[in-house]
Amino acid sequence: MKENDCIDEVVRVKDVFFQYHGQPVLENIAFVIKKGSFTGLVGPNGSGKSTLIKLILGLLNRRERGEIYLFGTPLEKFKQWSKIGYVSQKANSFNSGFPATVFEVVAMGLYGKMGLFRFLRKGEKEKIDEALNTVGMLPFKKRPIGELSGGQQQRVFIARALVSEPEFLILDEPTVGVDAASVKKFYQLLLKLNQEKNITLLLVTHDIGVMTRYVTDVLCLNKTLHFHGTAQDFETSDLSSVYKHDVQLVTHEHGGFHT
Amino acid sequence: MFELSLSFIERGIVAAMIVGVIAPLVGAMLFVRRSSVVSESLSHVTLTGVSAGVLLAQVMETIPMNPLYIGFGFALVGSLLIEKLRQTFHHFQDLAAPMILSAGIGLSAVLMSISTAGYNEWYDYLFGSIISVSPSDLRFIMITAFIVLLIFYFFQKELIIVSFDEEFAKVSGVSTKGMNFLFSILVALVISMSMKVVGILLVGALISLPVAASLKVARSFRQLLVWSVILGEVAVMSGVYFSYHYSIAPGGMIVVMSVLLLLLFLLLPSLMHRKQEGSS
Ligand SMILES: Nc1ncnc2c1ncn2[C@@H]1O[C@H](COP(=O)(O)OP(=O)(O)OP(=O)(O)O)[C@@H](O)[C@H]1O
Ligand SMILES: [Mg+2]
Repeated sequence: MKENDCIDEVVRVKDVFFQYHGQPVLENIAFVIKKGSFTGLVGPNGSGKSTLIKLILGLLNRRERGEIYLFGTPLEKFKQWSKIGYVSQKANSFNSGFPATVFEVVAMGLYGKMGLFRFLRKGEKEKIDEALNTVGMLPFKKRPIGELSGGQQQRVFIARALVSEPEFLILDEPTVGVDAASVKKFYQLLLKLNQEKNITLLLVTHDIGVMTRYVTDVLCLNKTLHFHGTAQDFETSDLSSVYKHDVQLVTHEHGGFHT
Repeated sequence: MFELSLSFIERGIVAAMIVGVIAPLVGAMLFVRRSSVVSESLSHVTLTGVSAGVLLAQVMETIPMNPLYIGFGFALVGSLLIEKLRQTFHHFQDLAAPMILSAGIGLSAVLMSISTAGYNEWYDYLFGSIISVSPSDLRFIMITAFIVLLIFYFFQKELIIVSFDEEFAKVSGVSTKGMNFLFSILVALVISMSMKVVGILLVGALISLPVAASLKVARSFRQLLVWSVILGEVAVMSGVYFSYHYSIAPGGMIVVMSVLLLLLFLLLPSLMHRKQEGSS
């Protein structure tokens, strides 16, 4: 496959199998994410969503079989990491004793783009402010990250992913611990990024009810890919109702876990 | 050269001032990486290297060689070994450091007993002795300090991002392997350069105590670096001053001053009438 043939493909996953210590987690996964789409990735706990995302990002490399392409380039050769933004599920597993300010954390989102020698310049500081403003955390700019609430920290990590102006943004359950009003705002923000800035989005989530109102495509995963299609098709499929039930239970448990 | 024209007292003071900047600087990075304990075991490996160096110098008297260089070599190998073990046995991270530590101290005890060097020479390396800083030692300290600062200048951003969030660093295209290697070099450099000033047994204190005190007041990473260096320098200078006036071992005095500073900063919040609530 030539690079130019698939310029409108952000991700191509081909026959991917993966196991942790002999325990199969992903089997025969194949799908394509088109440029400009907003894809929701759903599935029960332990269905392999985070694993799939880590494979795509090259964070797990003991892939058993299959191929992954990013922007038409085989993952192994992919170098343009500044095109990709990532908010991990355990974003707040960082060293909370680290006395970094919100500003300093978001600045890290630019480090990959900056070469040797360079320190933050004015334009870059403005970008950081802009990203913080987008997630509504600008007033907290100078606060140490460890002194923020879980939901506030989560927003800072989203800003860190946004600041490098990625073309493709991957978010693994970014709204866990974020209150309902903010979740709605957050989805509207994602929609804006997707439609106005043409950022391709891949979002892992458990709140299916909300998600289907915003996304263009849905991937349904449980070890194998159970569904891949448009949001409308997903709504009318019986899978939707099954998952809705399943998942609301899950979200509930999640909530309990965090309080 | 400049270091030759200094008196032995001046040499000692210059050496102490340099170490007072570099050790807390690297200490701050190590703290963020949650691997301060590594420096402790590495210092023992460095001792092995120095023991080997002293022994080697005795065997081959014709080649003048500063044992510090061999100490650095051992520290680097030990540092890389710990990093390797840390990655290979992911769940036994805490085991890697003590393993190296015991091996290092055991081996240096063996080498020490073979060597015919006097007790004083060992004592200098164990607890530091700024009056015995030779021109060649000072040159070693200046070279290593320069390398540390170069690494900091060029890779500060990368080192920070890897320490803060390794996964995010990888996704940003930062080579985590390369940065972990740089960390190993930094630790080896700082330990071997501190040896003559505070000694192997006390270098861990100079790396961690000023940083621990700074954590009480720093509100950003930049502030942490600045405070660590200031407090490190205060501890070193006051330690040297008191040790000179009351003829106390300087290495020990520097560490005692660091401990006092840490205590002061721990008590600071309650002394300040709890002005800032919740920043304990
Ligand atoms: N580091 C690991 N080592 C071994 N097994 C793992 C590891 N990480 C995940 N697993 C297993 O792989 C399976 C998939 O995990 P994964 O984290 O991908 O699920 P998920 O779909 O993201 O779940 P959740 O909705 O809870 O985030 C689970 O059965 C889990 O136990
Ligand atoms: Mg997950």
